[in-house]
Amino acid sequence: MSTLTLGRTRAARRDPDRYKQGAARWVVLVLVAFTAALVLVPFAVMLMNAFKSPADYSGNGPLSWPESFQLDGLRTYWQQVRFEGKLLNSIVISGAVAVLGVVLSLLNAYALGIGRVRGRLWIVAAFLLANMIPQEALVYPLYAMAKATGLYNSRLSVIIIFTVIQSAFGTYLLASVLGTFPKALLEAAALDGAGRWTTLWRVVVPTVRPTLSVLLIFFFIWTWNEFFIPLVMLVDNSTQTVPLALASLQGDRLMDATTTNAGALISLLPTVVFFLIFQRTLTRGVTVGAVK
Amino acid sequence: MRSPRTMISIGAALVSLALVLAGCGGQDDDAAQSGTGTFKLWHYESANGAMGKAWDKAIEVFKAEHPGVTVEFERKAFEQIQQNASMILASDQAPDLMEYNKGNATAGLLSSKGLLTDLSDEVTGRGWDKLLSPSLQTTARYDEKGVMGSGSWFGVPNYGEYVMVYYNKDLFQQHGVAVPKTLDELTKAMDTFVAKKITPLGMAGAEYPAGQLYYQLALSKADRSFVDNYQLYKGPVSFDADPLKYGAETFRQWVDKGYVSQRSASLKAEDMGTAFIAGKTPMIVSGSWWYGRFSSEIKKFQWGTFLFPGNKLNAGSSGNLWVVPEQSKNKKLAYDFIDITMRPEIQTILGNNGGVPVNADLAKVTDLKNKELIANFAAITAADGLAFYPDWPVPGYYDVLVAGGQSLINGSKNPQQVLTELGKAYEQGVSEIENG
Amino acid sequence: MPSSTLSRVQARPSRGYWWYLLPGAIAFTVVVAVPFAANIYLSLTKWSGIGDPRFVGLDNYTRLLHDEVFWTSFRNTAAMVIAMVVVPTLAGLVLAATLFDVIGRRFGPKAASFLRATFYLPQVLPVVVAGILWGWLLRPDGAVNAFAEAIGLGAHDWLGDPGTALPMVMLVMIWVQIGYPVVIFMAALQRVDPDLYEAAEIDGASWWHRFTAITLPQIRPETFVVTLTCTIAALKVFGPVWALTRGGPNNATTVPSYFAYNAFFNKLQVGYGAAVATALTLLIVAISIGFLKAQGRVEEAS
Repeated sequence: MSTLTLGRTRAARRDPDRYKQGAARWVVLVLVAFTAALVLVPFAVMLMNAFKSPADYSGNGPLSWPESFQLDGLRTYWQQVRFEGKLLNSIVISGAVAVLGVVLSLLNAYALGIGRVRGRLWIVAAFLLANMIPQEALVYPLYAMAKATGLYNSRLSVIIIFTVIQSAFGTYLLASVLGTFPKALLEAAALDGAGRWTTLWRVVVPTVRPTLSVLLIFFFIWTWNEFFIPLVMLVDNSTQTVPLALASLQGDRLMDATTTNAGALISLLPTVVFFLIFQRTLTRGVTVGAVK
Repeated sequence: MRSPRTMISIGAALVSLALVLAGCGGQDDDAAQSGTGTFKLWHYESANGAMGKAWDKAIEVFKAEHPGVTVEFERKAFEQIQQNASMILASDQAPDLMEYNKGNATAGLLSSKGLLTDLSDEVTGRGWDKLLSPSLQTTARYDEKGVMGSGSWFGVPNYGEYVMVYYNKDLFQQHGVAVPKTLDELTKAMDTFVAKKITPLGMAGAEYPAGQLYYQLALSKADRSFVDNYQLYKGPVSFDADPLKYGAETFRQWVDKGYVSQRSASLKAEDMGTAFIAGKTPMIVSGSWWYGRFSSEIKKFQWGTFLFPGNKLNAGSSGNLWVVPEQSKNKKLAYDFIDITMRPEIQTILGNNGGVPVNADLAKVTDLKNKELIANFAAITAADGLAFYPDWPVPGYYDVLVAGGQSLINGSKNPQQVLTELGKAYEQGVSEIENG
Repeated sequence: MPSSTLSRVQARPSRGYWWYLLPGAIAFTVVVAVPFAANIYLSLTKWSGIGDPRFVGLDNYTRLLHDEVFWTSFRNTAAMVIAMVVVPTLAGLVLAATLFDVIGRRFGPKAASFLRATFYLPQVLPVVVAGILWGWLLRPDGAVNAFAEAIGLGAHDWLGDPGTALPMVMLVMIWVQIGYPVVIFMAALQRVDPDLYEAAEIDGASWWHRFTAITLPQIRPETFVVTLTCTIAALKVFGPVWALTRGGPNNATTVPSYFAYNAFFNKLQVGYGAAVATALTLLIVAISIGFLKAQGRVEEAS
């Protein structure tokens, strides 16, 4: 392990003056910041409407500034859908899928990328099938299986399904990345007398941690926002997730726009917080290339 | 760097915690089967709408009358019930009582597959049939194929709904327009607005309003036998003759004359409604489901309603149904609850909140507008004037109608082409139903 | 580049690694293989979702071949590939490299992280809400038209005109999709040896030259992954179309998944929906395998 050094510190320390010159960097910054601002426009609209009264929204349209700052939408939403329960369900499901999915991806990818088992192209393709099949196609059979095993309307059914679906992506990404894994590191581990299992956790995992973090974040957020399969599998309040709660505001012929915006805002916060916490691990990665 | 062992054990702890949490609490233990125990009730009406308020009160009454029973009420996502009702009702997770959409593709289909309880004995035994006029009963009864209009009772509606014209009284006054009594007067009124550069009729092409206007226009040239043919498959329906031809052609004319905006193809019903609430639109043709919202949100001007001028037939029907799943563990409680929702005290709450009750104590409905809404509905049903909705006959027809309406609005197809497409999908769908 | 650093593990297939595939294989069989086989069976039946399916052979597939809407939906898929694969991957590469190389180094990693989070935000928003928000912006009296009128262009019903609806849906898809490659590529750039850049800079290589000579080859695995997964996502895209246009106006923006969904849950033709889903899956599988093979060849060659 002593052969690895933090890449970021090295890069940052290097001769900083050379980068501080020229107006070009400001032009680049302004361009990127402007694009980012454009990306944020719909979120600004959401914020505006989350704090409006329904009458204000109906009377003045969605694009006007709120007449007064109202928290009613947020409160109504929280109470009406019993948000705390849905929040717990979403955290349990997404958290479990993120962890299990990463572990499963890692095991698969270890065999495929580093083990280079025979026929790995076809195995990767087969695993990816989980990602390729439109979810509608799986719904009726999965429903029948869940009913037969008593898992219908349980969070466990959704955890199992999404662990497999997400790990298809994880297997592919990690197998590709591990395919370029430096041989020197593996050889060093073998010289130290490490077996495959130890090598996996002591050499491979620390090296690809930024990628594992990406997977963890993606799996969590993707599972959090899944709508269709949870809608089919999770039937009542005790098991349902945040996006399903949000959908209960859309009626047959009417919708409650201000509450929907308030609800969207609350639903969004946990995932944004999760992303912000874990994005630190994205930049603190240990670089493979720093091996000497 | 953390040792691999701690990482593994942290991971294992997280996973096992998640699994423990996920495993428990999934299913509710069904405590008892008798008069005590739980009563599981689902509906998808918003809490502040007429139905939501009335049924909240019904739950209170029910609890008072059944002190030993725990009521487990859940407000469901419409999408979930619409898409998964058959899956839920075929499992042991079914509720004891549920709101469900009326029509062949919904309640009809589930009844034909044996997922709903036949309520006929309860309906006659408790006298609910006496509270519901024949055209309201149509949507509650289904035959073995699941076609509405005859056979056993599989659902009980306790409110009505219909399509009418909402108008902005201030704008009418300001431009010297009187409330039209005939279709001619309506077109003249719209001409007046167009001359003043105001689009008279709000529209939303991306959702149901366009299909309903097309149907209202067709109904102006139709009689009951057309409705029976179109909705109940009693005879052939021609898509290149009146009344449907008139409906599509007049709709297009109205776009050409500027009565309906050419730029409304992408709008949703919500956009149309909020434009009316904002006082930008003189008129919209839409259903009674807006009534409560308009009452509470329109403050800046006076508004009113009138029936679509000259029409004897109007789009409308009973409201959604109470259905009792075959898998219900407590059917007796479900019947008791339906009975409570039919009582005048609950029905009056509906009437006072902009709903259309079927058994209200009208003396206690105080608001003049609400009285008018209920009186208009009574007039339609008395004249056997409910014609249901244009997308009902065939499963999935809603999307076809939306596509047709959008083409009429943006002019990408002429009425003839639109009618051909509507006809093709209709005939295909009907033949599927008749051949099982 | 120093060959010892990046040379691969020897291609010596080893039996001991098979055990690591076991959990994945079991889970995959239960959750994907068996249900997909069941779906293929359903595609040969007529079924409303309740009761017993009736076997009809290849009827659903012959009907599919003559269904105009089905073919329209496949043509629209090409547009989705542009909006969800081509543009986001290219723009994502440039953005990620800019954030990492220019912003990250000259304005500090905090600025780069902040901008990355911003670009990723649309991925987090529930798709139904994204549909409502964009509907407000694009509707005839919305913000986009206000802007168009301000700069002298006329107002337009962007999502209501069959000519502009698809480009608008594409625009929204780019907005939704862009954060995904940015995050993956920025993580990939962490793996690149800073010494390579240093050496190139000492040699006086331009930014563009460094980008093409070092960045691109180094993050090739991630580029493949992003391209393939985005392609799969584009072929089976459903949520945003459902939320924005429901396939309208007049099927101008319909896509195969929406078409299948409609058959499954609105028309109650589960057998037909299963046939659409199967056909779509086969197409995706064919494209993916071709892609994986190409990736394999490139990896062997390098």
